[in-house]
Amino acid sequence: MALKSQKPVETAAFVLPAQLSGRTDINHLLRELETLEEALISQPVRETQAPKVTNLLDQTALANGYKLQQQPHRRHMADQLTKIRDHAPTVHVSFAAEPSPKVTETILNWLRTNVHRYTLVQIGLQPAIAAGCVLRTPNKIFDMSLGASLEKQTPYLLELLKGAALDAPAPGTTTTAGLPAGQAGKP
Amino acid sequence: MDLGGILLIVGGALAAIAAILYFDWRARHKKPAASGPAAVKTNEPPQPVQAISQMAQEDVEHIFNDDFREELRNRGRLHFEKIIGENAMFLQQDLRQTTTQLNEYMRTEITRTLQIEFKKYEQSITDAKQLALDSIEKTVTTIEQQRQLLESQMQNQSEAERNQIIARFEAQMARIVNHYVMQAIGNQIDLSDQLEFILTELENNKAAIIEDIKRGA
Repeated sequence: MALKSQKPVETAAFVLPAQLSGRTDINHLLRELETLEEALISQPVRETQAPKVTNLLDQTALANGYKLQQQPHRRHMADQLTKIRDHAPTVHVSFAAEPSPKVTETILNWLRTNVHRYTLVQIGLQPAIAAGCVLRTPNKIFDMSLGASLEKQTPYLLELLKGAALDAPAPGTTTTAGLPAGQAGKP
Repeated sequence: MDLGGILLIVGGALAAIAAILYFDWRARHKKPAASGPAAVKTNEPPQPVQAISQMAQEDVEHIFNDDFREELRNRGRLHFEKIIGENAMFLQQDLRQTTTQLNEYMRTEITRTLQIEFKKYEQSITDAKQLALDSIEKTVTTIEQQRQLLESQMQNQSEAERNQIIARFEAQMARIVNHYVMQAIGNQIDLSDQLEFILTELENNKAAIIEDIKRGA
């Protein structure tokens, strides 16, 4: 039974749930696993109930087929999480405001699908971004904000401004169209 | 006629008057010669030639007696007075003519001198005027050049400043618009609405992100 239960643990790759985004979450899980380990060891002696696990830990165990009541599963899970925490690539994503979990999960899924399956994300805030985000990898910064987009569209913006300046009447000149009703045509 | 000629005429006239007066004075103070030689002759023994000479002398004295002499003297005096009167008249005419000529000469000379001086004065005024005009023209030319130079410099400076302002505005335009958008609707933009834009940008930078992640790993 133990071998059967350990089989998916050794063969399948570790899966990070979408709710687990960064190293902070992994550290939380590791501390929770340690607490759970201590609680399960002292449970027969103290005759206390098993502590409740968080939803994140439960989701992580469920996604990987672990059973938290079994010590090998907990150790394996802790080892995997430690490896991921120490070796997984981390990117920093800054937003103008605090992103919702849906946004974080969507971006995280895209990163884990297209870049690296264990990509960790660190969320930051930059109010000057206005819209979009700024993604920082170990060596590069990818500015995907509205400001960068406007920078790319500067020639188009210049054309619009020049067109508006050419269409605008010269300062000091008054046209009949600008006069109030009843004054047009009068000297 | 110049001044030397006039003085020569006047001198000549005065010399003629002096000569006439001298001869008249000499004729008046000349002693009769009949008494001297006659007394001498009475003391000498008479001779034939001398007798003839004495007879001729007596005839002469008989003809040129005192009355005749007085008459001749009167005639000479009248003739002399006539000549003196004529000469005085001529002299008066010459003096008047000379005075007239002198006046004319003086007037001409003064007029000529005044005209020359006036011409010099006029020429000086004309030169000074031309000099002033040249100076004013040079000043105007210099001022015009300075004005053009200043105008050119101001235009260049204005153009450079305008270009600098435009370049700075163009460089900061995206930031200005971004700031404006952020101030205008920054709090109203939902990140969920930006997901499509963010995912599109991620897709555009996918290769670079993977490359950098691999390098970082």
